[in-house]
Amino acid sequence: MRTATGRQNSSDARNMHEAELAGLYPEYYDRIARYAAAHIGSRLDGEDIAGEVFLRALRSLGSYRKQSVPMQAWLFQIAHNLVVDYLRQKNRRRTVDIESVILESPGNPETVVERGIDLERVAGAMSRLTSDQRQVLTLRFLGELSSKETAEVMGKTDGAVREMQRAALAKLRTILGDE
Amino acid sequence: MNKEKTMENFDKILDECIDRVNSGESLQSCLTSYPACAEQLKPLLSAAAKSKSAFAFTPQPHAKTAARGRFDAARVGSRGNTQYTGGWLSRVVGKPLIFAGVAVAAVVVAVLYFGSNQPYYPIIPGPEPHAEGNFVLLISDDINAIADFASVDVTISAVQLFASGEGKWLEIEPEIKQVDLASVQGDDSIQIWRGDLPEDEYTKIVIDVESVRGVLKATGESVDIKLPSSKLQLHLPFRVSAGTVTSFTYDITVFSTGSGHGNSKYILKPQAGESGAVVAGRKQD
Repeated sequence: MRTATGRQNSSDARNMHEAELAGLYPEYYDRIARYAAAHIGSRLDGEDIAGEVFLRALRSLGSYRKQSVPMQAWLFQIAHNLVVDYLRQKNRRRTVDIESVILESPGNPETVVERGIDLERVAGAMSRLTSDQRQVLTLRFLGELSSKETAEVMGKTDGAVREMQRAALAKLRTILGDE
Repeated sequence: MNKEKTMENFDKILDECIDRVNSGESLQSCLTSYPACAEQLKPLLSAAAKSKSAFAFTPQPHAKTAARGRFDAARVGSRGNTQYTGGWLSRVVGKPLIFAGVAVAAVVVAVLYFGSNQPYYPIIPGPEPHAEGNFVLLISDDINAIADFASVDVTISAVQLFASGEGKWLEIEPEIKQVDLASVQGDDSIQIWRGDLPEDEYTKIVIDVESVRGVLKATGESVDIKLPSSKLQLHLPFRVSAGTVTSFTYDITVFSTGSGHGNSKYILKPQAGESGAVVAGRKQD
């Protein structure tokens, strides 16, 4: 049976985690939106997923254990699950949403269009990587997680992540160089 | 040192460089730190920079603010639940019927409060068209590469509007599905739907495009106009209220990406600067 002190401790821990989660919001909302958008091909839905990640995290704070994984890595685990659900449920083929980039860039239309084409090329190249390689690159570059945090999200060792990172970049370079 | 060990060290150096680039350092400064493997590092770091910049974007501030609002509201809600849990739970747990009723109610409240488990918002069918409705959707075309075309037929299958207050997408079926952009240049526009939308702040309009066919003026040849996602998205907040008519003009523009010497490619995109809502003759900010 839980004592009053036990309940108080649990409530204190939840409040502490909730404050930490709220503190991560400004920076990690953007990172998660970029990470999700790169996987699903839609900035619009990437933003929705980022918002949903924080709501899900808030609901699951009771089960969060800091010692097993840092909170930012935990957020990306939730994001990854939502991305997988999204792709499964919507049964969408991976597409590149050029409009997402164009709307971001109010400058010279030709530059903007070129940027859209760059996105299309890189997304095409990324789609030829293995899913683990794609996951490593998006977590490292768009999520801006360290290789240690990336390893925690993926349930792999730091060494395995660094090795996948090198192999993924080498393959990406070859594909982009071949075009 | 064996080959495996060398590769492991290289992986660590590459990893450190990626961390440094992520935190804003230049690629060159990393290469300078490791001159012995700069030749190997450079192409990998360039590929990394390319993929990072291709996917970089800043989320729309209003989308982030709205999401933060929902998060803060959920925080307040979760605090309320925490405060009362111990008291009522211990009282009702000994009375199975009350406990079952409360449990069912809690599930219903949770579903209503948090919505479904979808990471995206549900799309629900919007209202039928109505000649006197409070919302008018028009399509126009800013003058860019459209001058190259005799016609650009855009076939629209559906339009989705995001009602930010309700947190849901409404999907409407246009009354006019095919628009020739060449006939709606500049200040000209064509009404594709009018009807009564629920009062709300709408923040996004997405047009599902079924096909785009262009015929070049100079040669009479049909050309492909690129729209990889089959969607045109605009993030422009506007309000729909009862008692007023909101007319939203969605400007779609054709851009040329080539030199114009026989190798032009064309791309279709929404023109945020030329689009917007007008209520009772006044343009909304």
